[in-house]
Amino acid sequence: MGELTGFLQLTGARKGRKTILKESYSEGAFKLTRPLYLTQTGEAYFYIMNPGGGYVDGDSYRMKIFLEDAAVAVLTTQSSTKIYKTKSKPAYQEMDIYLKSGSVLEYLPDPVIAYQDACFKQNMVVRMEPDSSFLCSDIITPGWAPDGSWFQYDLVQSKVKIYMGERIVLFDHVKLEPDVDTTGIGIMEGFTHFGTILVIDSRIDSAFVEGLQERLELMSAVRIGLSILAVPGFALRVLANSTQAIEAILSLCHEIVRTNLFKIEPVFLRKY
Amino acid sequence: MNNQLLTLLQIGDSNFPSGAFSHSFGLETYIQDGTVHNQETFFHWLRIYLEKQLVYTDGLAFRLTFDHLADNHLTEIWQLDQTLYVQNLPIETRQANRRIGERFIKMGIDLYSIPLLEQYLAKIREGEAYGHPAIVFAMISDDLKIDRDEAMVTFLYSTITSLVQNGVRGIPLGQTAGQRMLVEIQPYVWKAMERIKCLEREDFGAVAPGLEIAQMRHERLHVRLFMS
Repeated sequence: MGELTGFLQLTGARKGRKTILKESYSEGAFKLTRPLYLTQTGEAYFYIMNPGGGYVDGDSYRMKIFLEDAAVAVLTTQSSTKIYKTKSKPAYQEMDIYLKSGSVLEYLPDPVIAYQDACFKQNMVVRMEPDSSFLCSDIITPGWAPDGSWFQYDLVQSKVKIYMGERIVLFDHVKLEPDVDTTGIGIMEGFTHFGTILVIDSRIDSAFVEGLQERLELMSAVRIGLSILAVPGFALRVLANSTQAIEAILSLCHEIVRTNLFKIEPVFLRKY
Repeated sequence: MNNQLLTLLQIGDSNFPSGAFSHSFGLETYIQDGTVHNQETFFHWLRIYLEKQLVYTDGLAFRLTFDHLADNHLTEIWQLDQTLYVQNLPIETRQANRRIGERFIKMGIDLYSIPLLEQYLAKIREGEAYGHPAIVFAMISDDLKIDRDEAMVTFLYSTITSLVQNGVRGIPLGQTAGQRMLVEIQPYVWKAMERIKCLEREDFGAVAPGLEIAQMRHERLHVRLFMS
């Protein structure tokens, strides 16, 4: 890959009760806030800023996140990732995450909005110790086209690979490439917005997933799929008709994970 | 004409005891919520399942296995086996492929005594592999010197045939409607094979959101004819 549009690297380390920013470096169109402490439990909150305003032709972004032993961090964005016309070369985002023993990372970015003729690929690779925890969410929404229709983007592709040691423990590959079938059965099922939350944590068992399922069953006007993974963890998928509806599901899920699993107070990151 | 045709007919037969008849791969969820209720809606589901899931997962895995065997890259096949398992997020379809894969390996060993299948089974027993029908079908076909593309189209068609039979039982539809669907789907199966030939390794594992959610929701159905 040629020159990056934005690069960001951060290392979080545990110091006493608190997680501190041990090292950070950014370049181009990525900026990182100083760590904030929104709760009493000492986890660090980082906001990624992209002053550029949106991704266009050939933009490429890269992030590297390291959490040292027992570091606990929450990473989010300050606004949605908007993908505009990318006719000649797709916009690309790559993220490498390294989680050492006992560390916890929550990555909860704002939605990706793909406008007309947008082509966006994101790749995440996580290398984690079996006793570290990882949570990430992803929301893909179609932007309005000038003629008022949805799904005028060309491609949104999102890949997540999670490794423990040399072994792959999760591979998620979502590829939305709108065609005549997209809105219907098997793909969007009549919905417009799509969201995912993946959680890997050694304490997750079928009883936890069952409990989560019961709470989620009360949500209406959305379609949710939830299943336990090949390693302790779960994947939740949701189809809905608005960003708010997806965010409501994902924050409920996030809250339950924090309260019942991580045993820390819930936190509300979104700006609605 | 040669005996490879008969071999393909045998291992591609939906009566071949791999256990595929117990699995609907999410179809039953659509039947219960009423989305799939007649020949037309079933055909639509089937085509989407073929074009948006099968092609990128089992189909591409089949071709990659064949190609890796030609290059003698066994390590890559074992990695593919692991990736197939962990990319299958719904537990029921993940277990379905593992079970069908393992039964297929055992049948393959009994029928053709293929050393590579013995190795595959040993890896499963050691917890280093899981088993997947696409890999096994490709290994058997390769060992018996069957043409890659003929084997691939048979594999796809065989998967589709099992699903049609399950749909005929589950919806239910008449046997003639089922057979008519098998005629109609054939050009799509050929197209799917041509598509798989053009795919890159990077295309592997793409999922269709709705199909996958239905496969997850199958766990919650109260009355079930199928295990997935």
